Amino acid sequence: MKNIDLNNLFSKKTSNFSDDEVFDIAVIGAGIVGCGIYKEFCENGAKTILVEKANDILEGASKGNSAILHTGFDAPIDSLELECVKRGYSEYIKIKDKLKLPFLNTKALVVAWNDEQLEKLDGILQKGLGNGVNELELISDKEIFKNEPNLSKNAKGAILVHGESLIDPWSAPLAYVKLGIQAGGKLAFSHEVKDGHYNGEFWEIKTSQKTIKAKTIINAAGLYGDQVDAIKGSKDFKIIPRKGQFIIYDETAYNLINSIILPVPTKITKGVVITKTAFGNILVGPTAEDQESRDNSATVSETLKNLQKKAIEILPSIKDHKIIATFAGLRPASDETYYRVMINDDKNWITVGGIRSTGLTSSLGLAKHVFELNDKKYEKIKYENKPINIPKITEFQTRDYETAGYEKIICHCEHVTKREIKTACRGELSAGTIGGLKRRTRATMGRCQGFDCLSAVSEICESEKTKS
Amino acid sequence: MKNIEIAIIGAGPAGLSAAIELSKLGHKDIIVFDREDEAGGTPRHCGHLGFGMFEFKRVLSGPDYAKKISDNAKKQNIEIELKSTLVKIYKNILTFSTPKGMQVYNAKKIILALGAREVPRPSYLISGIRSPNIITTGALQRFVYMQKAKPFKKAVIVGTEVVSFSALMTAKHAGIKIEAMLDESKTINSYGIFKCLTNYILRIPVKTGIKIIAIEGKDKNVEGVRISKDGKEEFIKCDGVIFSGTFTPQSAIMQTSFDKFNHTNNSLHVTQNFQTYNEDFFVVGNALRGALAGYKCYFEGKSVAQHVHKALAEYEKPNYIEIQVDEHIQWYSPSLIDMNSLKKSLTSLRLKHNSKGILKVIHNDKIVFEKEIDGSSYKSIEIPWINGLDLKSTDNLEIKFL
Repeated sequence: MKNIDLNNLFSKKTSNFSDDEVFDIAVIGAGIVGCGIYKEFCENGAKTILVEKANDILEGASKGNSAILHTGFDAPIDSLELECVKRGYSEYIKIKDKLKLPFLNTKALVVAWNDEQLEKLDGILQKGLGNGVNELELISDKEIFKNEPNLSKNAKGAILVHGESLIDPWSAPLAYVKLGIQAGGKLAFSHEVKDGHYNGEFWEIKTSQKTIKAKTIINAAGLYGDQVDAIKGSKDFKIIPRKGQFIIYDETAYNLINSIILPVPTKITKGVVITKTAFGNILVGPTAEDQESRDNSATVSETLKNLQKKAIEILPSIKDHKIIATFAGLRPASDETYYRVMINDDKNWITVGGIRSTGLTSSLGLAKHVFELNDKKYEKIKYENKPINIPKITEFQTRDYETAGYEKIICHCEHVTKREIKTACRGELSAGTIGGLKRRTRATMGRCQGFDCLSAVSEICESEKTKS
Repeated sequence: MKNIEIAIIGAGPAGLSAAIELSKLGHKDIIVFDREDEAGGTPRHCGHLGFGMFEFKRVLSGPDYAKKISDNAKKQNIEIELKSTLVKIYKNILTFSTPKGMQVYNAKKIILALGAREVPRPSYLISGIRSPNIITTGALQRFVYMQKAKPFKKAVIVGTEVVSFSALMTAKHAGIKIEAMLDESKTINSYGIFKCLTNYILRIPVKTGIKIIAIEGKDKNVEGVRISKDGKEEFIKCDGVIFSGTFTPQSAIMQTSFDKFNHTNNSLHVTQNFQTYNEDFFVVGNALRGALAGYKCYFEGKSVAQHVHKALAEYEKPNYIEIQVDEHIQWYSPSLIDMNSLKKSLTSLRLKHNSKGILKVIHNDKIVFEKEIDGSSYKSIEIPWINGLDLKSTDNLEIKFL
């Protein structure tokens, strides 16, 4: 009987840069924000390296979110967040077809459940219009039930937000990094940033592995943003991790709703959302719980039960459907609600911090903003713009199991093929963790949570590890 | 699209025995579909003995039993399409994903023998970390018996059903030390002898009536399970957790393809003939109500074959009465009565929890059957047919446990 370590199925990724190389840019953190920035700088000719402490992208805050592409109708007025959300949204629309990235315009309903909330709807509408989001409508309870017949009859009225949409929160950043690599970008996974020194010309960033030299540092370290920022010598903000717990319902519930159901927000949080996911489930969450720990993403039984209760209150017929997964994400909230984007010109250090819940949407917009903020010219290099391969794992794309030649289906709940798992294990940006494999294939994400396939999946990963 | 007479989905004990029996009854236009790359179903990865006693009068291991029923099907020249995953049901048209591409069949009669699975950790809404080392018995068996690998060294088993003790045997076989067996119910959910053997022969504590506070650990590594009993907390160190039991049918495609669904069983409603509200569809085996032993599924398969054979020969419109049950019932089968067909008993059922009480059958507000029982979650209770019970389709028939 051999031992198998399910937390260590993948080999450590090797870095591909030489010790004396001085980069124009080192982006610290391969979350959704870092991935977007990496793409922008690489494509504009900057010699860029992406530095990440984990063995894959999206291992921190970005691994768990609600996968919504926001319009910005409820973003803070005149804020950088609003600007980046709107810009990020339109950038995504611009590139999605070329990259074959999924997009499902489900629309959203901000539903008022009592008279007090009903009174607030007009304010939300005016704010949205003021934010330049024009496709908003105040609709009556009758119109709600025409669109959403399964919603609780306690709904009093709603705002219909036409632009709100679903995307694949994992394949999009994967595509950004692949575009960056194609444009000459380098990668340093499993390089945990420890310290750094600015010698007047460039930074020497000490990591758990090699020292990385770069003229400008972009700190997109998410939950560790304030700690990394301290390297430049001043502490300008503090990360206060905000835990968000979620429950996921089986695909049998998928057709109970058509649009994203949002609550009337409070000052602290946007509140609990009920939405379809790109992967054919219904997601309910998140909660908003401030905490000290940056790595405690344990779920709490009582909280999960409350989420279930809330889901049944809003969508009564969901009681007949099974919860198949629960998880918690940590949002890198800071001691202020706004985006903490700042440049230290003397030291060539740019901080991109406190991007709490809109990072998925704003990523590409933030990237443009940061590039402009940096205000340096790089010489664009010529490279072949080849089509990049990214997983097609959402319910609104043709999946691999629908295409002949896949060997066999390994994960039956999510219809994941052996071919997909092998592909995810190969190449420069292969899966580096079991979570990374899930995010590229959906394997073990379904109702049986690996009852059927965990053993087979790990066997394929091990065999691919030996090959590489 | 290919037209066939009978499609059977699932090449486990129920599906294969149905196919063999139908073939013996003269039907040759049958295809059994299975999503795996070999036939045999769940017994394939149950490495322990205990299969085949009733069907073949010999004691076989799961894999040997799976091989025997597959060989028997081959002897009957039954066509088995492997690596065929049913992805869509529309009327009588079945769409399968296969490595050769999508395949579409139109079948006159369809037997769903989809099997069951265990309920994994998230569905229990237990506190704590996520880790790949929190798995089900099924996953453990596949690791140990198919891959010859052990994912952890020390584990606790959550659950005290028969399968939980099978998980214990699997762990023992793999050299995984079991620190404890845990159950939140007051008494174990299987025969008391198991608890005695585990406690006194294997010296593994079986702790019932506890509450699981959380699965604790760092990053994705399990460090232990925190429990409490009578206000006292205990931390059991381990690097793996096995959730065992609470079987549920592989029913997602049934729930999304048909209007009426039996939420108690988590399956379709069926009559005493295994026929669903859609007269061309039959459900059999563990797809009906979670896990019963392999031989019961085998005999159900034989039985459904007779009913499908009869339904193909002559059309008789079924006259359905649906039985309602209360929340104390774990499952009941059949949940429909076909009044035009032979009735041996009313139904069989299991309770959710081990408990004493009175089982009542109420027909239009009138109690027609009443029995005091010392019920358990692991033994089936059969309610006999009630002589003189005359049911009309608009009647209300309800089973309550008080």
